[in-house]
Amino acid sequence: MKKTVVIGLFGATLDTAKAAKRWDKWRPTLSLCRHEDLLIDRLDLLVQTRLANQTKRLAEDIALVSPETHIELQLIDFEDPWDFEEVFAALLKFADGYDFKPDEEDYLINITTGTHVIQICLFLLTESGYFPGRLIQASPPKKKDPGPGTYRIIDLDLSKYDQLAARFERETLEARAFLKSGIDTRNQGFNHLIEQIEQVAVGSPYPILLMGPTGAGKTQLASKVYELKKLRRQVEGAFVEVNCGTLRGDTAMSTLFGHVRGAFTGAQSDRPGLLRTAHNGLLFLDEIGELGMDEQTMLLRALEHKVFMPMGSDKTVRSDFQLIAGTNRDLYDQVRRGRFREDLLARINLWTFHLPGLAGRVEDIEPNIHFELARFGRDANRKVTFNKEAWQRYLAFATGPEGIWSANFRDLSASISRMATLAGGGRINQEIVEEEIGRLKRQWTRPDAAFAVLEEYLGAEGVEEVDLFDRAQLAQVIEVCRQSKNMAQAGRKLFQASRRQRKSVNDSDRLRKYLAKYNLSAATFWD
Amino acid sequence: MIEIDGSRGEGGGQIIRSALGLSLVTGKAFQIKNIRAGRKKPGLLRQHLTAVRAAAEIGSARVEGDNMGSKTLRFEPGSVKGGHYHYAVGTAGSANLVLQAVLPGLLQADEPSELILEGGTHNQASPPFDFLKNTFAPVLHRMGPKLSLTLDRHGFYPAGGGCMTVQIEPAPLKPIELNERGALQSIEAHAVIARLAKHIADRELNTVGERLEIPHEHRHIRFAGESQGPGNVLLVTLTGEHVTETICGFGDRGMRAEDLAEAVAAEAQAYLNADVPVGAHLADQLLIPFAMAGGGSFRTTAPSSHFTTNVETVRTFLDVSFRVEHLSEKAWAVTVR
Repeated sequence: MKKTVVIGLFGATLDTAKAAKRWDKWRPTLSLCRHEDLLIDRLDLLVQTRLANQTKRLAEDIALVSPETHIELQLIDFEDPWDFEEVFAALLKFADGYDFKPDEEDYLINITTGTHVIQICLFLLTESGYFPGRLIQASPPKKKDPGPGTYRIIDLDLSKYDQLAARFERETLEARAFLKSGIDTRNQGFNHLIEQIEQVAVGSPYPILLMGPTGAGKTQLASKVYELKKLRRQVEGAFVEVNCGTLRGDTAMSTLFGHVRGAFTGAQSDRPGLLRTAHNGLLFLDEIGELGMDEQTMLLRALEHKVFMPMGSDKTVRSDFQLIAGTNRDLYDQVRRGRFREDLLARINLWTFHLPGLAGRVEDIEPNIHFELARFGRDANRKVTFNKEAWQRYLAFATGPEGIWSANFRDLSASISRMATLAGGGRINQEIVEEEIGRLKRQWTRPDAAFAVLEEYLGAEGVEEVDLFDRAQLAQVIEVCRQSKNMAQAGRKLFQASRRQRKSVNDSDRLRKYLAKYNLSAATFWD
Repeated sequence: MIEIDGSRGEGGGQIIRSALGLSLVTGKAFQIKNIRAGRKKPGLLRQHLTAVRAAAEIGSARVEGDNMGSKTLRFEPGSVKGGHYHYAVGTAGSANLVLQAVLPGLLQADEPSELILEGGTHNQASPPFDFLKNTFAPVLHRMGPKLSLTLDRHGFYPAGGGCMTVQIEPAPLKPIELNERGALQSIEAHAVIARLAKHIADRELNTVGERLEIPHEHRHIRFAGESQGPGNVLLVTLTGEHVTETICGFGDRGMRAEDLAEAVAAEAQAYLNADVPVGAHLADQLLIPFAMAGGGSFRTTAPSSHFTTNVETVRTFLDVSFRVEHLSEKAWAVTVR
């Protein structure tokens, strides 16, 4: 016969009473020891150290009504019994250190005493198996009845709770579908990734780093994470999004951290800055690798201490936000080049997720086409479908070797929009598909493809500012710089013809001046 | 192996206690099924377990099914050993009920015993200490064995924590006749209070004293200051020439002291009117000793359901016959042979 062990918290209010009147008062822990049909062999009474001496009377009274019960005081420490994190950690530590012998002892976890937070933590720890037992809940008797009242044993393993568990599971699944914008993606790697992001997004307030190529859906995912957290009431504030590639010079600092009036020429009034706007919300910093060193330092401080100093201010401001950072660069490489703070990277890459490009998720192209069609249908208020041949042709192209999708979902979305717009009568036919395939092929083989490298260095908006006339040249220059060890070597390669004709005096200087026009410098490429 | 159906008769813990006592006396093993069937909380409860384990220790028994909520119990006794024993009953359950389970065995052990019993000493559901000492022990002594009881500490519901010492000097039981109460020699009232206001005792004594015409010098307040929890019991002791009866009533929250005293007075009056020596509670307690003696007779009030169930249990262990004869509206004759 197994021994019955009750593990429960000493209730500083419920379990105590004035000496004279104490037998008139219902005391839950004592009441559990008074039931005729419940024999408790051992009571592990969890008590905060500072309350330990208050348990004496309870222990004495239990000895009277239940001489069979051996009482063990278990000291447990949390400062604030209403602090979820602290209580959970303390109880988890207790459970971890407890020598459970489920073969010899039957554990009942008393959730009657303690703050609601403690009760919830006990429930969670029992539900998740850290306390390998059943819950026990005591209830007082009717008024005037001096009896022990009633108790209930709740076995969370029992099948009748499967329904609850199933509902919980369904909510989890819904959350995942939510993060995927309802797209029934099939790529296992991607689905697994979403599962993890869901767990992290729901479970932690820590920074998340999303890595992946342009158009892989980083912004989309960040905003979905925000919406999910908002639904679960884990954030109250706003979703604030900025591409760091667009932040240059003084305005970068001021855009992020704000300024006070007169902080610099043109600072006519106070500006709160994006970090403060994101207070209690979520800040998505895309292309975080583009952030300047000073901004990185400020951001690190803001993440570590939740405070920062707006420009021109001598007072710190507080902002508590969750950070999601996006990048298409290898930040470790950036660290090696001295362009990204190692400590900041360590801070933000606790949870790093690699979002694959569309070409790496061919299984997901089909559901994404459906999604884009549906979205178009909603936006344009007309339903558009492929005819059978058109569908087979497009899908074969999209998922085949010719489907390069260099701008990933951005390309796919644009492609579907174009076809849907052209589809008279809501049907996309073979003709439209053939035209579109031709368009995509030209786009991907045109020098535009090389322009991706421009976007990497200038940001999408940066590229817009460069004349189409200059783009090919700049892309080529950047490519050469990337392949060279230093400015001099790149200069020699780029101005080889001039050198032969002895026209050029200083290749490096010529290159430096060229790069400077686009806000690029030697430091962009070399240490 | 004697088979007993636990759902029979009033179907409570009494069958278990009687079976345990009789098994120790006869050395016969038994198995009881359907323990407390149909009750809200069926099966063995804590107080029954304490009794089973006490009987098992005293009778060196092999036991199966002695766990909480068990609906079947197997009990195979070895030899009964007198000596020093100490048992504590939880839930402020009655210590007297443990005594019921082990006493028959110890009455005929080879050596005297001393039992220290902790728990409730004055409980609603069982005869209080004062009944055992003043009513039951003297009758038992006339049959042979000597039972000396000392109250070390009162134990009331719900706190319990009482303590009593019971010394048992075994002797062969001989049949007796208990057909006459004889002349009523005195009536005394004791109002016992623990951790409660004195006026409760005063009011109880006034009422019961008036109703039963108890002289003031026979009205006593007993302050049970040593009791762990609050409690109140009103005891009326009716001393006759051949037997002493103890009537009791327990104070409860929300019950007026006067009402309690009226009820006790009415019960005492009913006993006196019946003009029989043995009250209902004593009749229950005497069945097993009379059966062990193999003869004797007594007169009592209408048999309780306890009593009838007990008769059946006794007969499954001992080869005795009972005759229960209706003498008048209020009087019954019980003969054992």
